[in-house]
This record gives sequence, C-alpha cells and structure tokens, in this order.
Amino acid sequence: MTARRALHFFLALPLVIIWRAAPAATLTLDDSGTQALEPGVSMRWQTAVPPRSSGADLLVGTTSIRVRINVMPWLKRSARIYLALPAQPPGPIAASWTTQGQLLPGQLRSGNRVLVYAGPITAGFLEDTLKFQFSVNAALIGRAYPVNFHFEMDE
Amino acid sequence: MLARSPSSPAAALVPRPAAPGLPERRTSRRAALAGALAAALVGTLAGNRADPFTATLNPAAPLTVYLQVGVGSFTNDYIYGGQPENNTTINTVSVSVSSAVLGNHTAQAMTTNSTATQSYWDGYTYCSVPGQLYIGGFYRTTGGTTAAAQVTATVPAGLTDAGGDSLPFSKIQWTSSGNGDNGAEPFPAGTFVNGGVQTVGSMASNTWNESCWTFTYLNNSVPPAGTFTGVVLYTLSAP
Repeated sequence: MTARRALHFFLALPLVIIWRAAPAATLTLDDSGTQALEPGVSMRWQTAVPPRSSGADLLVGTTSIRVRINVMPWLKRSARIYLALPAQPPGPIAASWTTQGQLLPGQLRSGNRVLVYAGPITAGFLEDTLKFQFSVNAALIGRAYPVNFHFEMDE
Repeated sequence: MLARSPSSPAAALVPRPAAPGLPERRTSRRAALAGALAAALVGTLAGNRADPFTATLNPAAPLTVYLQVGVGSFTNDYIYGGQPENNTTINTVSVSVSSAVLGNHTAQAMTTNSTATQSYWDGYTYCSVPGQLYIGGFYRTTGGTTAAAQVTATVPAGLTDAGGDSLPFSKIQWTSSGNGDNGAEPFPAGTFVNGGVQTVGSMASNTWNESCWTFTYLNNSVPPAGTFTGVVLYTLSAP
C-alpha cells in the first residue's frame, strides 16, 4: 500500500507542475456594441510652439467612445477586464482616458494593457463612455493612422 | 461543449469552468439541456465581433509657420502657454553719417527702432537694442524630417532719396549672434544684394530658430546729401 501511494504521488506531481506551468489564456472580449461618438480623432499640436531644439514634439487629440462590452458569459461571476493597446504603427502611442464610473480611468502606452474593471458581473453588458486622449510624436504621423485597441480578460 | 472546441469561433467567449453548484453526476436529461443551451449560445455568440476597436488619428491642419523680424506678438512666452499673434509693425534700421566721416571706409554701425530683445520662447533677453534686430520663428509639420523652410529677403535695387539719387543696397551688411549663444546661427551674417531675392536663413522643421542681426553701413563712397530709404521684405517659405 505504501508503494502504491508513493507511485500516485510521483504521478500526480508532474501533472500539478504541468498544470501550473500552463499560461492563462487571454480572451478578447466582444465589444461589437462599442461606438465612437466622433468620426475620427483630430490630432493637433500639444503646444503652440515647437521646442528650442529638435526633440519630441507631440500631437494630441481627444475623442469620446461609448463602450459596450458583452460580458454575458460571466454573469454573476467576478471578472478582471483590461484595456489593451497593442504595439502598432505609426509607433509609440500614449493614451489616457476618463470614464463615467463604470470602468476605471487610466493611461497606458502602446504595447501594454491596464485594468479597467475588477468585480462582479451583474449585467450582460458593461457600458461606459470613455473620453480618450491620444498623443503621438508628430514625426511619426504624417497621415491618418488607424489605432486599434480592445478589451480582454485572463481566463 | 464550447469550451472544449478550440476551433469554435465562440470558444474564446465562453468561460470554461463548469457552472458552480452543478451536481457531479448529471442526468442525461440535464446533459441534453446543457447541449441545447450551448447550441443557443453558439447561435448568439457566433454573430458577435471580438475584433479590436479602431480610432483613426488624423493630423489636423498641423502645418504652422511663424516669422518675426523686429517686434512680434505672442500672448505670452511659449513656456507659459503663449500663442503667436499677428503684428504688422515695420521696423527701421538706420544710420546718420556725419560729413566729417562720410566715405572714409570706416563702417558705420546702424541702429533699429525695434524694441524686441526677448525671445518669446522663454523670455530670455537674447538681443540688445538699439544695436541688434531680432529675427526668429518656426516651421511645424508632421511626419518625418522634411527640407528646411527658407527665409528670403526681397531687396530693391537700391536705397533712394527724394532727389532720385540711389545708394546700392550692397553697402549694408550684417553680422549674426545672440546673447549667450554658440554654434551656427540659423540666420547667418550676410550682405544685401542690389535688387533681387536672397536667402537669409533657414529653419529646420519643428524647432525654434532665432538670431540677432547687427547692421553696418560700409561707408566707402560719397553719395549726395539726403535721406536714402528702402524697404526689404522678409518671407518664410515652408516646403
């Protein structure tokens, strides 16, 4: 009996290790109900005048987006939802946003994500209006660029 | 069912753990019900979008130029949020040469009625009046590095007096500097041409450029007595 228990232990140990080593899956959430309240983001000079010598010279623009995330599958459960801004052309992009309270305000640079919701899911959709400010180095943006972001959660 | 089907487009949208509170043993009826519910979820979720949301960043009217020769106008220094304004003032640079030294080849320093001494960038006292004339500005554009903007002077053939006498503009030249400055000046020293358009400086994109000009009259000829005047027009041209 002792030998059989030991065998079970050694069999179980690798399974536990494998299970713990498996990375958490990241799910991109369905936000197909999200709508921009303006057709585009007009990027203007952050300051009226350039720096004395060449350096970072930023364009900034704001836009309001009505976010609607489908969280129906997680109803009556807790969830941690992130806003992700992938690294993408034209280069480093900074974003900050304010909310109306359902989601968390925050800021991030492209290539990162930040928590915007943590708590119980009590309705089928998470809805909020976010006012974004994007900023990007003027040298990178000589024409219009689409900037993609999404909401995700770790399973 | 959905959670175990990685090829299902809806799989990523469905939580994988079993519903809490469900008994370990399920009856076949419950299994059938779960299957029906899952099928309904597939019908609902398959039409949903999990694509990223896109916001389009549009550089809006970003091309901006500012040139100041002599006095200019800003709402405040740039570092305090100042914005450039229009100023239509035409400043003069002049010298009065006495008959005792007229034409003796000793250059005569000219002075200006401009009161511009401080850089509107930060309020630093960059030029000294009345001996120096401030010239500065910027050219802003988006995208990668572009060719520099050019500043040109449109110069008449000569300075004239009321009697119709003329004095070549080439008898006026200038040096370029700035308080505490070092390195090459964006608006270097030069001599006026006798009629025509000449480049007097350039501005790299998205930088502030400024110099202080000190004018002199060469005084190497003896013109008729009189007051000789001429107007030079400075133009900033962005690519």
